[in-house]
Amino acid sequence: MMNFDYSRATSLEEAATLARHPGAMLLAGGTTLLDLAKCEVARPERVIDLTRLPGLNTITVGESGATIGALATMSRVADDHGIQRRYPAIAESLLLAASAQLRNMATIGGNLLQRTRCPYFRDPAGYPACNKRDPGTGCSAIGGITRDHAVLGTSDHCIAVYPGDLAVALSALGATIQTNLRAIEIEAFFLMPGATPERETVLERGEIITAIAVPATPLAANSTYLKVRDRQSYEFAAASAAVGLELDSDGVTIRDIRVALGGIATKPWRAIAVEDALRGRRLDEGTVREASRTAVDGAKSHGGNAYKIELAPCVVARAILKAGGIQ
Amino acid sequence: MASVRPVKLDINGKEKTLSLEPRVTLLDALREHLHMTGTKKGCDQGQCGACTVHVDGQRVLACLTLAVQSEGSAITTIEGLAGPDGTPHPVQQAFIEEDAFQCGYCTPGQIMSAVACIREGRAGSDDEIREFMAGNLCRCGAYPNIVSAVRKAAEATA
Amino acid sequence: MTLIEPRVKHGDASDGTTPSGPLGREIVRTDGPLKVQGAATYALEHQLEGLLHCVIVQSTVGAGRIVAVDRSAAEASPGVRLVLDAGYSLMLRSQPDFFGNKPEGDDYTPFATDIHHNGEIVAAVVADTLEQAQAAAQRVRVEVEFGPVIATHDDPRAGHGNPVPLDKDWGDPDGALAEAPVVLKATYETPREYNVPIEPHGLIAHWEADDRLTIYEPSQWVDGMANHYATWFGLPFENVRVVSPFVGGGFGSKGQALPHSAVAAIAARMLRRPVKLAVSRPQTFTAYGGRPATRQRLKLGATEEGQLLAIDHDGSNETAANAAFIETLGIVTSMMYAVPNFRSRQRIVPVNTVTPGAFRAPGKNPSAFALECAMDELAVELGLDPVELRLRNEPDVDPETGKPWSSRRLREAYAAGADAFGWTQRNPVPRSMREGRQLIGWGMACGTHPVYSSPGEAMVRILADGSVEVLSSAIDMGTGTYTILAQTAADALGVPVEQVTTKLGDSRLPRAPVAGGSQLANLMTAAVHTTALAAREELIALGLTDPNSPLRDRANTLIIADGRIAPPSGEGISIAELMAAIGRDVLEVTRDTLPRKERSSAERLKFFTTLGGMERGTSIPKSRHSFCTHFVEVRVDEDFGTIRVSRVVSALDAGRLYNPKLADSQFKGGIVMGIGMALLEEGITDPRNGRILSANLADYRIPTNADIPHIETISVGIPDYDATLLGGKAVGELAIVGVAPAIANAVFHATGKRIRRLPITLESLM
Ligand SMILES: Cc1cc2nc3c(=O)[nH]c(=O)nc-3n(C[C@H](O)[C@H](O)[C@H](O)COP(=O)(O)OP(=O)(O)OC[C@H]3O[C@@H](n4cnc5c(N)ncnc54)[C@H](O)[C@@H]3O)c2cc1C
Ligand code: SF4
Ligand code: FES
Ligand code: FES
Repeated sequence: MMNFDYSRATSLEEAATLARHPGAMLLAGGTTLLDLAKCEVARPERVIDLTRLPGLNTITVGESGATIGALATMSRVADDHGIQRRYPAIAESLLLAASAQLRNMATIGGNLLQRTRCPYFRDPAGYPACNKRDPGTGCSAIGGITRDHAVLGTSDHCIAVYPGDLAVALSALGATIQTNLRAIEIEAFFLMPGATPERETVLERGEIITAIAVPATPLAANSTYLKVRDRQSYEFAAASAAVGLELDSDGVTIRDIRVALGGIATKPWRAIAVEDALRGRRLDEGTVREASRTAVDGAKSHGGNAYKIELAPCVVARAILKAGGIQ
Repeated sequence: MASVRPVKLDINGKEKTLSLEPRVTLLDALREHLHMTGTKKGCDQGQCGACTVHVDGQRVLACLTLAVQSEGSAITTIEGLAGPDGTPHPVQQAFIEEDAFQCGYCTPGQIMSAVACIREGRAGSDDEIREFMAGNLCRCGAYPNIVSAVRKAAEATA
Repeated sequence: MTLIEPRVKHGDASDGTTPSGPLGREIVRTDGPLKVQGAATYALEHQLEGLLHCVIVQSTVGAGRIVAVDRSAAEASPGVRLVLDAGYSLMLRSQPDFFGNKPEGDDYTPFATDIHHNGEIVAAVVADTLEQAQAAAQRVRVEVEFGPVIATHDDPRAGHGNPVPLDKDWGDPDGALAEAPVVLKATYETPREYNVPIEPHGLIAHWEADDRLTIYEPSQWVDGMANHYATWFGLPFENVRVVSPFVGGGFGSKGQALPHSAVAAIAARMLRRPVKLAVSRPQTFTAYGGRPATRQRLKLGATEEGQLLAIDHDGSNETAANAAFIETLGIVTSMMYAVPNFRSRQRIVPVNTVTPGAFRAPGKNPSAFALECAMDELAVELGLDPVELRLRNEPDVDPETGKPWSSRRLREAYAAGADAFGWTQRNPVPRSMREGRQLIGWGMACGTHPVYSSPGEAMVRILADGSVEVLSSAIDMGTGTYTILAQTAADALGVPVEQVTTKLGDSRLPRAPVAGGSQLANLMTAAVHTTALAAREELIALGLTDPNSPLRDRANTLIIADGRIAPPSGEGISIAELMAAIGRDVLEVTRDTLPRKERSSAERLKFFTTLGGMERGTSIPKSRHSFCTHFVEVRVDEDFGTIRVSRVVSALDAGRLYNPKLADSQFKGGIVMGIGMALLEEGITDPRNGRILSANLADYRIPTNADIPHIETISVGIPDYDATLLGGKAVGELAIVGVAPAIANAVFHATGKRIRRLPITLESLM
């Protein structure tokens, strides 16, 4: 790890000013930043510690929606009764992520900005070619081992998976990311790699996430997160799905549904086709399985990750059934 | 460029002042600078849990924490777990009785994690213990006995 | 753990009640208090004045030649004291490794000039602090001329491999297979697997004088390692001291000094300062090789009734481009079942990998995977219960050697395991058992491990206060050596176990061979037993004859029990009182269990510092093995293909257990590792450059606590005095053997899919 300067920001303004310097990086829980600094992927010259900023870790759950301060830790949000009751997908996505220790450290803001686990990205010494890390150098994954790489949203420049869980739940629930400058809908927040995989979100230099706002909807209150992986715990998703489901008063007709996928795409992946195919339809297993197949429309395999194209629709279907009380 | 600066740490209720570069992790500050080697390094990448300590009562990974970051926080390590008279913590005692370790290298991390797990109210069933202790790898495979020890300590302190 | 077969016998762990002496009791680990307080000192935790930090630099290409190493940027980095590479280092004398591979020529340097595998050491940096050394190591620039890389044995250019002289033949397997009514042919594969002890490799090297080297290094064999350093540096054996009181897991990976060990010793020598070298977790994957990938083709021929007629086994494993490592694949196939016609062949396939190495139950483990899956396939083919098929082929004598078994209690294991598991409830039809969306599968398989034994040496000291010290260079890596040696000495001497302390893991202490092959517990309890008996004799003799002894001439003999020494009838005194009366501070006895021949000190040394001393059984009249059987339940999600092991019952015959509580931990640990092997663990190699992509603990997935269900173990062993002096058999490596095939067989039963390549991950079931 290169050496760096360290300072503790005492106000948001100060943090934003400091963060505008080239070479400056914000530090929240540090579980992504320090990890990547050790691999020499991140090379900060100055680290600005946000964690002591006042007022950025509150969680408010109200009638119209919830606001979660960017510095709230994953564990605090997961343990919040209001979140558990009104946004179960959020609580579940957090509890299924990382480990208890990491969840105590990691913040909600930092969590959204975690970087890919692509092994080539994380190994600059072994793989100088990585467009995401060093733009224009090529992609070591393409033509290599790709079991954990994306099948959706890829480009010829990068096929890395967005690894996080929370952002998938937030996508399904239509969250908004608030920064010191603006509010950004989560759909617009994450970018596909295209020709610029190094740019993963629309955040500008010096822009700081301050909170995440989630609207209160019946669908959010009846939401769930399903994560599939080889190891029972402490592992990223092979595929995951977040589903919010609202039924008509008849208890079987789908009034509204929102679905997002994780572990298979370059960003948290809304499955709008699945939603459209199910809105107004009857909630039964056959219909759900049929509709879930569209979740991977346009998916492209790179060999080792082909199984994800088969797996993802099953995960979506089961998550929808689970949200609908069909176990 | 940054160089060494004084860093004051509150470790097991004692204040320690060190001269450290900002990049020094809490884990290396403990092991290499303070010679407090009870906290272990198994991966240095947040992937094993061997470095688990408590910061302000919460279990965290010392390998992904900067020492400077913990200035102003209360840090507890395995060396600070026993009572003032040296009486082992009930979790330490349970680990011995249940043979919840073999090589012992993951053990301080397991114990720090277990103490927090019980405090968090996450030791209600064997399955809950398994899940909430999953962030502490044990290659010796002491898991079944770790579950017994955590259950026993949780019952004893209930 | 359950202990079956009640019987009453002194120190017999299998009696289910309390043994009369300390040996065989379920006492807690004597090193437990230190470990739970974080006060046990592991190698890198020794504190030395003026310590410097060394970080190695590994190659990032799989093959080629180093053209130049540019050290200048690293040398200019803050705090840097030294940058080493092949061009700037010390020349050592070469020394063959564990497996007899000797580097070319008489000289040795740990720094590569020709690259044979990705991750080979090319340079090293020494600096004042760890952070400085790590940062500077990133700045060493290595220019290489690339060579062609054959990354794995899946590469067609790797070819068929080279035969190794391990042929086993009897009868006429080809003829028998041609005529057998039922023939099964299948190929089984296991991937590269890594030991990954949670304590990574590393060491502190300290030259106390120009010709005296002290090494603090986690070690499964301090004497073997000391010898290695002595040869490297041309020192007498006595001038090297290896200290390893606690070892944070080894599983075979810490048996010898490795290239990075030489680096630290060289750096310390050149700088005349103690040097600490911690191998980073990613670096450990190429600092030591782990189990090589294997491929085994099996042909079984049988009668319709399930009588085996022939086995033909053809196995191969990957090895390094420049060194031979044999994973002995035929080793289990040739002794598990009665079979009149047999052939096994083995090849090794050189690829650009680090030299593979020993990993828990080498040979036995992958060998059992192939054989035990094949037996299950045969049972399905024949419509027989897999336990019944095995019972029909249970051999009365060792089929390979014709020797009688010292003990073989597999029948008892089948009975006890099946009963505890509820095996008779099993519907044999695949996919017939389910709960909701989970398919349930029940599977079983067996395992075995040979009993090896080498001589050992120990010192027993009786001190003035009546306490006892046991000293040996043997090590404890969680295996319980500290505890069982204290129990052994207490048992033989007649003192409470609390009065005995054990000192281990220092090459200055009496000699011990490698803690490998599951031999150490048996051979060291034997050595300590022998030594403690001699000490007791001596104490009794003093009690009877010393002019100042209060017991003098009180009887023909004296009895020591509970720390008191007394005539057969009448009052005695404490050992401390006797020692005081006769004016002794200490009574010290050293004994060994070398074969009763006069030996030169060079020969003695050879016994303890090379593998040559390891008794492999040819001269032993009985065939000595431990056995086990595992019954496993898996739950497979029908949509996702995710597999969870939900129940394990294992019945094990490991002879007498010196401390059933600690032996049980070894059993369970082996089963846990077997679950990882079956479902999770795989060293993923980039076919383009031979780099290990899963070189960390997130991507090389070992089981977490959440992956492990309740495990029930049942000991069916009885003391086997034909196997070892005190009746134990192999414990540490036994239980992993057979777990992976039991799981694979259960997965077949759950899903109807036969997966012959490990690990069985979700995509293989989709
Ligand atoms: C072993 C391991 C396993 C894991 N498993 C999972 C898993 O299963 N699922 C999962 O979802 N995650 C997993 N994670 C990732 C983990 O959740 C993230 O590392 C964590 O959430 C990041 O949060 P942080 O506060 O620590 O971020 P930091 O490391 O502090 O910051 C991450 C990035 O965000 C920037 N940043 C932080 N806060 C702000 C802000 N407020 N405004 C603008 N920029 C900011 C930082 O500059 C940095 O670039 C795992 C991590 C590890 C190490
Ligand atoms: S997939 Fe993306 S992150 Fe991975 S090597 Fe290619 S460019 Fe880099
Ligand atoms: S050393 Fe910190 S998690 Fe492994
Ligand atoms: S006791 Fe050895 S790793 Fe857990």
